Amino acid sequence: MESFFVRYRNLLVLLAILLAQIIGLAMQVRHTDTGRNTLDPQDAPGVRLLRLWADMVVTPPERAFHASRLGLVSSWQDYIDLRHTREQNQDLQKTIDRLRLEQASLLEDAKQGERLQALMDFQQKYIYKTQAAQAIGSSGSDSSRVFYIDKGADYKLERDMAVITPDGIVGKVRDVFPHSAQVLAINDQTSGAGVILMTTRIRGILRGNAAGRPQIVGILKDDRIQPGEKVLTAGGDQIFPRGLPVGVAEKVVTDPDRDGFIDVIVTPAAHLNRLDEVLVITSTEPRFPAEQQQDMATSEMLKGGQAAAIAEAIKEQKKASEVMAERLPGLTDPNAPPQTPAAGTAPGSAQPGQSATPAAAVPPPAPKLLHAQHPDRFTVGTGLPQSAQTSAPGDQDKKPAPKAGLKPEPKAGLKPASKPEAKTGQKTNPPPAHAEGKTQP
Amino acid sequence: MSLLGADYRRDMGVHNYPVLVYALTPLAALVLQAWLPRLVRGYTWFDLPLVVTVYFALARRNPIQGTLMGAGMGLFEDALTHHAIGVNGIAKTVAGFLAGSVGVRIDVENHTIRTMVTFLLSLLSSVIYFSIYRVLLGLNLEWSWLTELMKAIMNALIATVLFPLLDRTRVGD
Repeated sequence: MESFFVRYRNLLVLLAILLAQIIGLAMQVRHTDTGRNTLDPQDAPGVRLLRLWADMVVTPPERAFHASRLGLVSSWQDYIDLRHTREQNQDLQKTIDRLRLEQASLLEDAKQGERLQALMDFQQKYIYKTQAAQAIGSSGSDSSRVFYIDKGADYKLERDMAVITPDGIVGKVRDVFPHSAQVLAINDQTSGAGVILMTTRIRGILRGNAAGRPQIVGILKDDRIQPGEKVLTAGGDQIFPRGLPVGVAEKVVTDPDRDGFIDVIVTPAAHLNRLDEVLVITSTEPRFPAEQQQDMATSEMLKGGQAAAIAEAIKEQKKASEVMAERLPGLTDPNAPPQTPAAGTAPGSAQPGQSATPAAAVPPPAPKLLHAQHPDRFTVGTGLPQSAQTSAPGDQDKKPAPKAGLKPEPKAGLKPASKPEAKTGQKTNPPPAHAEGKTQP
Repeated sequence: MSLLGADYRRDMGVHNYPVLVYALTPLAALVLQAWLPRLVRGYTWFDLPLVVTVYFALARRNPIQGTLMGAGMGLFEDALTHHAIGVNGIAKTVAGFLAGSVGVRIDVENHTIRTMVTFLLSLLSSVIYFSIYRVLLGLNLEWSWLTELMKAIMNALIATVLFPLLDRTRVGD
């Protein structure tokens, strides 16, 4: 018997376990009235106990797994998010950096544009021909205050050409290369520029000192020189045109080498240490802008037009005088000979060899008064001696023009015939002074 | 599949495992079986308790231990369901018994054999489960043999990965 269980213990155990489970299943299944089996919806106490144990065993690990999963997922998602956030942050940082660079570049471009605009405005308004250039380098030494510009012989730059900015003078071209040029700044010790103090009109030579500051040297001591006085170019150095701003007198110091002389430290008007764009004066021939040239042409045209208008006015005046003379027969002598171009000129005004005065300059004929029928002492020509009266030379030959119904009658006391009348009339009415003046240059 | 003689089989040593492995591996299988379907959105095409049962039954070469482990695992699974307790118990009991019985007769060191045994026992477990449900208990149960086939294949694949890992926990190798 014992050997049977030992020999078939595996099967016996299997059968026992299976039987137990089958019995357990049988206890859970209920046979319904319809003849079909179904599970009891309400678990038996033993089954519930098994479920409870299973739940107690599984639930804590499941909760732990779930929490771990949540934590893991959360951590993973957070990591993913953080990673994305970090990437986004890096991208944004790159974008910010790029935008900052672009902003700085744009700002620099804008500043450069403003400078170039000011330079262009100055260049257009400046009377001399200039060439814009960029400062591209320096000597790299404090003892040599020169810098290089990007224009050279290819732009027809030459030595000793003045280099300026709209603010003031900068220096002069010291050396010219094919595509660049070396500019000696005014604050170099070897530079020199003739300057003048604007208020005191004291002249001097501007050059740099050891500290790189421009100063006016060789000036006799003068108490009138005060800080703040403007310094301009004097124009005597044949480099800088006169009148360009140089700077402002900062202070006056005694010349250590010569008694009685002073040096004027000048604050340069141009920013010598921050030069970007400069202008090289390539020609000192006055160059008027188009607007000024137009103004000048207009002025010339107006001058010509004014002369023509004056001539036309004189002509019109002469014509009016002739018409008046025709309409006023008592004032003109119909028998008088026609006026000659030289008739209006004063005697002696027409020099030999000179051309006759143009007709436009001939003064209008002087009106002649009719003779009074009953002259009295107030009658013109009777009270004054003839010697005291003047008459135009040309008028002596003139006779009053007859007019219909107004026939002149000779009066007693007056010279007979027409000539004496006309002479009388001429004596009483000399020609206008302005008319004579116009005919006599 | 290499068949071995009974004497040789008995001469072969039985693999021992740490107690924690004995305790935690089935527990982990049960917990993961209850927990992983939540992650895979219902695609429960695996049966970890069965795989663990087969493994330990093969490794221990003891049908009784396989039977007990299968019964315990099956009952535990049943306890976590709303079905009758004992259906999985019976199926896995039989599977554990057969695995323990086969382990005495075959070379369980071969991964392919163990994978095939797992695959076959998975199908057998499904058949037993279905038979118990439909025949023994007389209950209606929707069934998909394709699903059971996929489950068997998935169990075999899991065994392919899990068995070597569990082999590393052996004691005295």
